[in-house]
Amino acid sequence: MALDYDAELMLRVKEGDGASFAVLLEKHRSSVIHFVYRMVQNQAVAEELAQEVFLRVYRSRSTYEPTAKFTTWLFRIATHLALNSLRDGKNQRYEDRLDEQTEDQPARQLADRRPSVEQSMVLEARLDEVRRAVASLPAKQRAAVLMHKYEELEYSQIARVLNCSESAVKSLLFRAYETLRARLAYMA
Amino acid sequence: MNCPLETRENAALLVSHAARELAPDMAVRLDRHVAQCAACSQFIERQQAVWEALDRWRPEPISPDFNRRLYARIEELDRQASWWHRLTSPLRPMPARHAMPIAATAMLLLAAGVLMDRSRVPAARPVQAQVEMLQPEQVEHALDDMETIRQFDRAMRSDSPDPKM
Repeated sequence: MALDYDAELMLRVKEGDGASFAVLLEKHRSSVIHFVYRMVQNQAVAEELAQEVFLRVYRSRSTYEPTAKFTTWLFRIATHLALNSLRDGKNQRYEDRLDEQTEDQPARQLADRRPSVEQSMVLEARLDEVRRAVASLPAKQRAAVLMHKYEELEYSQIARVLNCSESAVKSLLFRAYETLRARLAYMA
Repeated sequence: MNCPLETRENAALLVSHAARELAPDMAVRLDRHVAQCAACSQFIERQQAVWEALDRWRPEPISPDFNRRLYARIEELDRQASWWHRLTSPLRPMPARHAMPIAATAMLLLAAGVLMDRSRVPAARPVQAQVEMLQPEQVEHALDDMETIRQFDRAMRSDSPDPKM
């Protein structure tokens, strides 16, 4: 199996090259934080978990073996931590955050399109519906959808991350998208 | 082509099609079918709506001090590791596979020591006296030495590297 560039970098980290770790961090930081954020829907918790992901990568450097793509390994750690966090209820639930919003808080603005207040409210309501729909998925389905849609991982990678077969991943995704179609298709 | 919606397995093809993941020849075949099939056409339309809805969900900006916080934690980790390394350095350079021969050698030396000590006992002394000389101190020392070797062996085993995760 040819080594991917990330795995080569990780092998250099294993040999004590801190600069290679910095390259890996810059390359994958956003995708890890965004993935975990969409999983737990709390930015502070997501950043805390993402820090733990990279700490584990760093701590494991001496025993690292490139048996799979680096991103598969990375997302396996990230998913493991996110699922544990959801299971333990460490993160503040998204629904709670919504309840905390008061009427005098301004709606979030989409700066690039400069929508009117009404448009902003509609867009914000739709975005909330998207978040709620994703949050309503069972944790494994959620992870599969997020890795498929946003991180563009291959089915085989998602299968390794979730420790299941590729056909199980396809089934997870089909059921997840079925739920999302029922909740979000009206937005077309 | 049979309607993909007839089985769940094939319906997954429509999800892949909406995500533009299919090989070009398969996509063309599916497009031909979708053009004639109202159910598949509606399925694709709804799936694309989901895709676009998910596209609207932009992530939050990352804290500017994320890297600084991470590197501070790494520094702390290294500092702790260095402290631990210094503490365990007398044991660390010795690989676990060397522990057994060393323990065996120590046992041999111990046994030889006991034998040499016995050989110094005067022949004329009664057997009863020999037994009294060996029992309390030498046997205790031998047991202590064996315990030390056991502890040493345990320390070597606990020093093995951590699993990946």
